[in-house]
Amino acid sequence: MHLDEEQLQRLLHGELTAAGSHELRSHLAECSECRERYIRAERDETEIFALLRQVDHPLPAVDAAGLMARTRKIGLVSGRWAAGILLFLGAAGAAYAVPGSPVGEWARSAAAWMTSEHRVTPAPRQAEVPPARTAGIAATPGKSYVIAFQSLDAAGQARVSLIDGPEVTVRAPGGAARYTSAADRLLIDNQSGSVFDIEIPRSVPRVEILVVDKRVFLKEGERVVTRHTADPAGHYTIDLSPPTN
Amino acid sequence: MDDPEASPFQHCFAAMFETHFARLYRYLDRLSGEPELASDIAQEAFVRLFRRGSMPDTPEAWLISVALNLFRNAKSSRSRRSRLLTATRSEGVLADPPLAPDQAAMVEDSRGRVRTALDRLSQRDRGLLLLRAEGYSYRDIAVALELNEASVGTLLARARRAFRDCYEDPDAP
Repeated sequence: MHLDEEQLQRLLHGELTAAGSHELRSHLAECSECRERYIRAERDETEIFALLRQVDHPLPAVDAAGLMARTRKIGLVSGRWAAGILLFLGAAGAAYAVPGSPVGEWARSAAAWMTSEHRVTPAPRQAEVPPARTAGIAATPGKSYVIAFQSLDAAGQARVSLIDGPEVTVRAPGGAARYTSAADRLLIDNQSGSVFDIEIPRSVPRVEILVVDKRVFLKEGERVVTRHTADPAGHYTIDLSPPTN
Repeated sequence: MDDPEASPFQHCFAAMFETHFARLYRYLDRLSGEPELASDIAQEAFVRLFRRGSMPDTPEAWLISVALNLFRNAKSSRSRRSRLLTATRSEGVLADPPLAPDQAAMVEDSRGRVRTALDRLSQRDRGLLLLRAEGYSYRDIAVALELNEASVGTLLARARRAFRDCYEDPDAP
């Protein structure tokens, strides 16, 4: 009676109880055929694992303390933002309720600004040819997409156009950025002084552009919210300087 | 972990990280061939473990399952969503000192064949082989890959044979 494949592998990998292991090793001592199979399997595995190491890359320099600190910091910042927003809403509600308060009028003005003045009228589609020697990335977004410029010390500009095509494209001259595409977002590691051309499909329900986590542009349905005004051709030129506060 | 104010969970997490981060990263690196993606996913899996605030019953298998889900999502969203228009900034590559040209060619050839062989394996065989190469137990492998633990050894032997066939004959159908 010889060892079956499962027994042989379990013996090789230390996946047996002490008693089970002892029993199978006793068999190997007596059975040259099983012993040969065991030696062959062990050698084969050693060779394959050595081959696998050929495709390894260096281990990233990450430690548990750093990871915990970063995770806690994100949680702390989120908590502070939530607390701040609650405080602000509470204070705004109280101010709104005071007789003669101008807050109500401000709120109505803000609502009018958000909903009417910046409503996009479809701009005539220009036949644009990307400039030569530009590098970039194209992505097919879902219902919501975020384009995030991440560099803390990089100024520059982004020219944003709304297009009829299906893809978000971001281009920069000379490969002046590095892109990381994830689900529903594009992260851009930008260099100072770079000028980006961004095309956003009108058909995407929601697209945000962030500069170091601060929103500088929002397209939601047909509405565009940004402090930058569109030029006659419908392009928005956005300052990419990181927020100072 | 030196922080005297750290909770028992934080001590446990730190120990878990020390023991398992490297092998989770190596598993993902070999699986994807993309070290940055592997690093991001391995870190994200540990971030999720930390946010969870308690250890799962089988933490190693839990980490692998989370990492595999993140990996699948990243791969599917990327293949669906993006393509580079042109090459962007080149990256420096960390490597050993340069080899002699003929040696370098052999290593490169072998490395390419390993990568091709891994890519040609079935998802199950690739997972089995790579997880075992990092020393994961049969139980962790079975839980993470949703296999019957009683047959992990047999499946591993088959996965090794499949890898060997693909490596030695990369052009075989």
